[in-house]
Amino acid sequence: MIPLLETHALIKDYVIGGEVLHAVNGVSLAIQRGEFVAIMGASGSGKSTFMNMIGCLDTPTSGTLLLDGIDTKGLSSDELAEIRNRKIGFVFQQFNLLPRTSALDNVAVPLIYAGLDRVERARRAKAKLEALGLGDRLANSPAKLSGGQQQRVAIARALVTEPLMLLADEPTGALDTQTSNDIMGIFQALNDQGITIILVTHEPDIAEYAERRILFRDGKVIEDGPVAKRRSAAP
Amino acid sequence: MIQRAWRNLAGWGINVAIALTALRVNLMRSILTTLGVMIGVFSVILAVAIGAGAQVSVTESIGALGANMAIVVPQPDSDGPRQTTDRGRLTERDIKAIAKQVPGIIATAPQLRTRVQLVASGRNATTEVIGVTPDYAVVSNVNTDEGRFIEQGDVNASSRVAVIGETVATKLFGTYDPVGETVRINRVPFKIIGLLESKGSSFGNDNDDLVVVPLGTLRQRLLDTPAQGPDDIHIAFVGFDDEPSLIAGQKAIKKLLRERYRVAKGKINPFTVRTTTEIAEVTGQATQIFQALLVAIASISLLVGGIGIMNIMLVSVTERTREIGLRMALGAKRADIRNQFLVEAAVLCVIGGGIGLALAKVAALAFVAYADFPAPIGFGVAVGAILFSAIIGLAFGGWPAIRASRLSPIEALRSE
Ligand SMILES: Nc1ncnc2c1ncn2[C@@H]1O[C@H](COP(=O)(O)OP(=O)(O)OP(=O)(O)O)[C@@H](O)[C@H]1O
Ligand SMILES: [Mg+2]
Repeated sequence: MIPLLETHALIKDYVIGGEVLHAVNGVSLAIQRGEFVAIMGASGSGKSTFMNMIGCLDTPTSGTLLLDGIDTKGLSSDELAEIRNRKIGFVFQQFNLLPRTSALDNVAVPLIYAGLDRVERARRAKAKLEALGLGDRLANSPAKLSGGQQQRVAIARALVTEPLMLLADEPTGALDTQTSNDIMGIFQALNDQGITIILVTHEPDIAEYAERRILFRDGKVIEDGPVAKRRSAAP
Repeated sequence: MIQRAWRNLAGWGINVAIALTALRVNLMRSILTTLGVMIGVFSVILAVAIGAGAQVSVTESIGALGANMAIVVPQPDSDGPRQTTDRGRLTERDIKAIAKQVPGIIATAPQLRTRVQLVASGRNATTEVIGVTPDYAVVSNVNTDEGRFIEQGDVNASSRVAVIGETVATKLFGTYDPVGETVRINRVPFKIIGLLESKGSSFGNDNDDLVVVPLGTLRQRLLDTPAQGPDDIHIAFVGFDDEPSLIAGQKAIKKLLRERYRVAKGKINPFTVRTTTEIAEVTGQATQIFQALLVAIASISLLVGGIGIMNIMLVSVTERTREIGLRMALGAKRADIRNQFLVEAAVLCVIGGGIGLALAKVAALAFVAYADFPAPIGFGVAVGAILFSAIIGLAFGGWPAIRASRLSPIEALRSE
């Protein structure tokens, strides 16, 4: 079976003041459907840069990126937009919800770009929010939600197009421990339902919710293996 | 093909929805942006309306003067080469000759005019008095509301009778019926025999502020500086059947008068003959220039409004770069982002234009009500204004919109 994600010698260079910085310096790896991967590494080791490339938000300097068997090289910006819309769900550290916009409307945004009509958008957005326990907060704007609730809205938004994988760059970075554990519980439940999850974290505790851990240093993968003692959020 | 078109249309609908939401979310900014276009559209429409109103009142004024009319005055014709200082002359006999020899004439109206002091029932007024023959009523299209106009008998007998305009009547008699009363014109008592039908005002000139008396009476009793000859006149109106005979008539009158005054070849005419057609043309051109000028000035404020839109759109794009990045991450294509901002700009402009149009309509109504000046706003102008606003929105919103759509998702997302 083809891997969901495959990279070969993936490189991203930045030129700063005439000097070339290899933010990601030759990463080759494969992630199968249904995996739950945690990416760790020191600050500046290239985790976010890698995530942005596999999320089709950024283009590699060189190397190959295959998503669901498709080589992303040479795809137009519209084709990449479609991949982001249909196959990838993003969860950000700062939630990135639209201000002064209800939870329901926030979750419905990706469906607008998928071309669904208003009724269907509202129906699916409502269902996702209910599944994440926010059925009574549909009309709340982000300012009227707690951090954990905002992140759950963001997760609902990431899931609403039924993507193949969820990319989360430090999703618990702005949350307290208890809330972080709740969010990780949600991720585990989602992963159990079959969705592939790739998350970046600084905290070893959080990484233990995953089943595979990849360690970055200076733009390279230096360690890649299963999580020894996997934590489970389920009681 | 149809499916594609439908998807496109649906796509636009979505962009309108997103744009409207964004505008609602940033209500204050939206209102301020709208203001510029609103003022611009307001002034352009009002300028067009005032220009059109000027045209209407010019047409009306010329109508009030009388149609297909030649005006003969004893002033050297400025059109010719300037080489004489002769004072012109024009006599009743000239006019009689014209009436006899020039074809197509309905009636002629020789006149004397002067300013006089009026006193009646203890009140006084100054006005212009016109000495006329009965045909004046025919040529100038004048009617009496009450009483009667000057008749041939009055002229023959040089009677001291007067027909007065509405303004004069109001000044001297208020609401009281003036017909049958006596008015002293320069201390000479005249019997008021009629009240003229109102002709309103044109070019801010009150057409009802006058007194009409028989021609001979004015010459004998009211002229302070006597005319050169016993039958000299100040001005004559010559009414023609139709425009072709007016045009031919103007030439014929000139020719006839040159003969009568033995004007040598190459010498300037001691008289001037103008036609209502010429006057209409000249004033029409003047009002067109006036209108163009107004619109030009108003367009500047519309341009400023448009630049305001561009400014706000640029700020909006910069301020919302993160939102743009987020939308791209969630699957927005370049066209979606571009269209969202285009629609935002267009909606702002159309709303601004609509309000501007409504305000202009109110102002135009106020003009009619308080200044008695017509300021018509045609359907075409209204539709044009709205369309024009939309185009302004697209034109000035276009650049920021395209700029926004060109951003790379990650750069947009990372911006502060
Ligand atoms: N747009 C950019 N221009 C220049 N250099 C960049 C850019 N983005 C990232 N970098 C550099 O690339 C390197 C990798 O950055 P990246 O954000 O991927 O690190 P990270 O592992 O996510 O760090 P953190 O844990 O702090 O988020 C860093 O040295 C960073 O300074
Ligand atoms: Mg990072």
